[in-house]
Amino acid sequence: MSPRLRRAVFLLACVCLLPAFAHVASTMPAFGAHPLPYGDLINAVGVRERHVTNMVSAINFDYRGFDTLGEEFMMLCAVTGTTILLRGTRGETQDRPQRVPGREIRPRADATVLICRLLAGFTVLFGLYVLLHAMTTPGGGFQGGVIIASGLLLAFLGEGYRGWRHVAHSELFDAAEGGGAALYALCGFASMLMGLPFLQNMLPLGKSGDLFSGGLMLVENAGVGLAVAGGFGILLLEFLEETREPEPVQEDE
Amino acid sequence: MTGFLLPLLPLLPWAVAAWLFGVGLYAIVTSRHYVHLIGCLSVVQASTYVLLLAAGYRHGAPAPIFYSRPPTLAVDPVLQALVLTDIVIGATVTALLLALVLQLHKRRGTIDPERVRPMRR
Amino acid sequence: MSGLIAVLFLLVAATGTIVALSRVPRHQVIAMAANGLALSLLFMALQAPDVAFAELAAGTAAIPLLFLVVLASIRTDLITERVERPAPGETPPVQKP
Repeated sequence: MSPRLRRAVFLLACVCLLPAFAHVASTMPAFGAHPLPYGDLINAVGVRERHVTNMVSAINFDYRGFDTLGEEFMMLCAVTGTTILLRGTRGETQDRPQRVPGREIRPRADATVLICRLLAGFTVLFGLYVLLHAMTTPGGGFQGGVIIASGLLLAFLGEGYRGWRHVAHSELFDAAEGGGAALYALCGFASMLMGLPFLQNMLPLGKSGDLFSGGLMLVENAGVGLAVAGGFGILLLEFLEETREPEPVQEDE
Repeated sequence: MTGFLLPLLPLLPWAVAAWLFGVGLYAIVTSRHYVHLIGCLSVVQASTYVLLLAAGYRHGAPAPIFYSRPPTLAVDPVLQALVLTDIVIGATVTALLLALVLQLHKRRGTIDPERVRPMRR
Repeated sequence: MSGLIAVLFLLVAATGTIVALSRVPRHQVIAMAANGLALSLLFMALQAPDVAFAELAAGTAAIPLLFLVVLASIRTDLITERVERPAPGETPPVQKP
């Protein structure tokens, strides 16, 4: 199909779907006035039943905890696939920077190094803070894990590839990703061992509004945080490896 | 002018979601660069986030976090949980697609969808 | 609907359009980061702070970086090919920084 024909078919489809969209949009409940029975129910009973104050976390780790298990393994599959695809053709490690011939390489400015060194630590700390406050205030394993991974990225910007690889080992990230997903699944099996349904909370729930309230949800949250931070760490590392060449040369960085 | 547009304002969230989906799909259909194509896929993904969160919004209601006040009527937490996991999973799937592009570039030396031919054994 | 939310919806639509229609992938990456920022502001206004956190970290920082790294890797490959192809037997000219 030629590009022009394809564009014409696409525009034709748009024109045909436009009345359907207009119909749906005009018969939808108005914006801001949707009936939300499921959400309202959880908002009403969540704090009393689960002793946590962040309802999004309560849904992620308890009410719909099984869905999160699926998402966890979806992420594991995507990260594993990426790693296999990238490592498959080039092996585990490469050491020489690939360069565009004729392009000047400027050293990193001192200000960049300073700011990245300062901010990387704080970003990881903030990620941990967000991760730990999953049950009370906005935050949780998903957000905290991604913020920790962006702290790793700042460390790369400040230290350069070589300095970064001194601290970022792929084994560490692999263990975090796999271990986090396993921890989440094991939480479910732990409930089953005690004769309860899969992922049923059997730990003491604690006082709502307390940092360590929520029982089993805390463990699941830690598992998700580990898996997300490790997964994004693996992705950063594998893609950065792609910009290297296999031959080892003298250190020049 | 504004008097004419005001009755249409409540349709804005759905229109924005549909527009993001449409414009992203248009760019995918006409793309000549796989990296660009994956970037447009992220626009299509964003349209689902906008649609879901707009459906879960309630006028004047606070966020579903009851740390400093008793449980009251709030915005829908179910849709927020959906979108939250969707963003993180979407990011890793984007990485998988980018890895496929790199592989294609190594094997075939091209990243133009028009120039990629079916594989033969 | 408050004016702020309407403006943020329009901002998301505008930045999304720029992402889709900028044909140079290098420019698109920057537009993607801007779109991520606009989306997280919108989510904040829609009372979804959890989602805004995730979008800010993933959509504004992590994903644009992956795109940049992939573009860098593709570009270095393309240029080495171009340098090496005319004289496959000889060593390609090495530029000292």
